[in-house]
Amino acid sequence: MILTRLTLANVRNYASLEFAPAPGLNVLIGANAQGKSNLLEAIGLLGTGKSFRTSRESEIVTTGLPTASVAGEAVVKPGPIRLSCTIALGAGGTRKRYTINGRGVRYATYLGKLRVVTFVPAHLQLVTGPPALRRALVNAALAQESAAYYAALASYGKHLAQKNALLRGLVAADEALLTTYNERLIESGTELILARRAFVTELEARASAIHHAWVGDVEGDLELLYAANVAVEVPTHDGVASAFAARLDEQRAAELVRKTSLVGPHRDDVEFRLGGRPLAAFGSQGQQRTAVLALKVAEYETLFAYGGEAPILLLDDVLSELDGERRAAFLRGVATVEQVFVTTTSEVDARAAATYRIEAAQLERVA
Amino acid sequence: MKDRVRLCSRCFSLTEDDPCAICTDERRDATLLCVVAEAKDIFALERTAAYRGRYHVLGGLISPMDGIGPAQLRVKELIERITREEPKEVIVATNPNAEGEATALYLSRLIGPSGVPVTRLAYGLPIGGDLDYADEITLAKALEGRRIL
Ligand SMILES: [Zn+2]
Repeated sequence: MILTRLTLANVRNYASLEFAPAPGLNVLIGANAQGKSNLLEAIGLLGTGKSFRTSRESEIVTTGLPTASVAGEAVVKPGPIRLSCTIALGAGGTRKRYTINGRGVRYATYLGKLRVVTFVPAHLQLVTGPPALRRALVNAALAQESAAYYAALASYGKHLAQKNALLRGLVAADEALLTTYNERLIESGTELILARRAFVTELEARASAIHHAWVGDVEGDLELLYAANVAVEVPTHDGVASAFAARLDEQRAAELVRKTSLVGPHRDDVEFRLGGRPLAAFGSQGQQRTAVLALKVAEYETLFAYGGEAPILLLDDVLSELDGERRAAFLRGVATVEQVFVTTTSEVDARAAATYRIEAAQLERVA
Repeated sequence: MKDRVRLCSRCFSLTEDDPCAICTDERRDATLLCVVAEAKDIFALERTAAYRGRYHVLGGLISPMDGIGPAQLRVKELIERITREEPKEVIVATNPNAEGEATALYLSRLIGPSGVPVTRLAYGLPIGGDLDYADEITLAKALEGRRIL
């Protein structure tokens, strides 16, 4: 996939911007707070309809204005495509609108047309950070890949929030209603569990091979284990659904006492192991970082394989966090990238297709 | 104070005369009861001219996050009506979103023991779309293809 044109209006510090990126490596150089991460965020927004930096979307709209919009033209496998995502501030919060080739579409239709893999400094904590970070990575990848996964994830999230509100006592306790929510969660949750299991298996095979190519045998194999909250013993739809139902029954009383949902894929995790030992507890920082890089390359490769074409890669301020050897290894790992955007405060020792300097929301091509 | 819009005491639709014209129309099929969230959904279904039964307006959809549980809606009244009127089928015509889905399944769980079949519209309707935005043909098809919950 190649983004050929990007148009911003009232996006953070950009009043307006027309940008025609090059295929290959696009390097965006600038001091802090000049707008290079905002530009990357906008590309991510165009692809996924979501910001990788904030969940408060009103922040994306230039202060004092009612709407922000990101539009773009891209070349994807079926052919050229035009996309746009508009954020409008309103009394009841923000509202987003999406178009494909000028026609308004629902988010579920929009998502996945321009796939992106994002790598930001927060991801360097993927091994040691909270489970939510690892779930977010899996969800972001699978939601772009599969409309069915996105639908299941959205449904699961809505019913879970309602179930939690019921458990917290926002309405009178009602056994039949609790059972109704549990059944909804089993339906969508089973899809999530099966898709995650397959994805992590794929991710592990790739990450392990990449890791092996980088560091050899000395440290042992890198493993990724899908630590499902509902243990998967029979990996079929019925097997997972009945295991999930059994766990919900078993924990029903505890959920009522604790006033929150204790069972389900919202509590899943992915565990890293190196040489058979948990990497978060036993690894050095260097080992943990190398594992993260292998995982990010594996994520890129897996999305590439699933979708049959290269996703766009966004690297926000992350290369400077890596030492020379790891940076070179990572860049070699994603050498098949059709298009990558890198933000940095200083020059990058890589073969850039185009280099831009960003100062006060002005973009200037310098090489 | 005639001509004042009020709630029909049977179906809880908006009406000037109580009971409303639909509830008192003898030509309508009393064995079919269609449950909707709001009175405006009745107008959407009436436009299709494909439904000839009676209605029951819940007054919203179950959403604990918004403080709306079954007790905040006309669920008790629905169960009483089913016991009293003994319809042959209850059609739940809630919107195809998460709240509409949960409300329909909850009602089906409640009505189940009475032995009255509960059906739901077959949604060729856009997910997340509203009944009152659906065109008549789509809605009539959804009604025709309704399935047992
Ligand atoms: Zn009436």
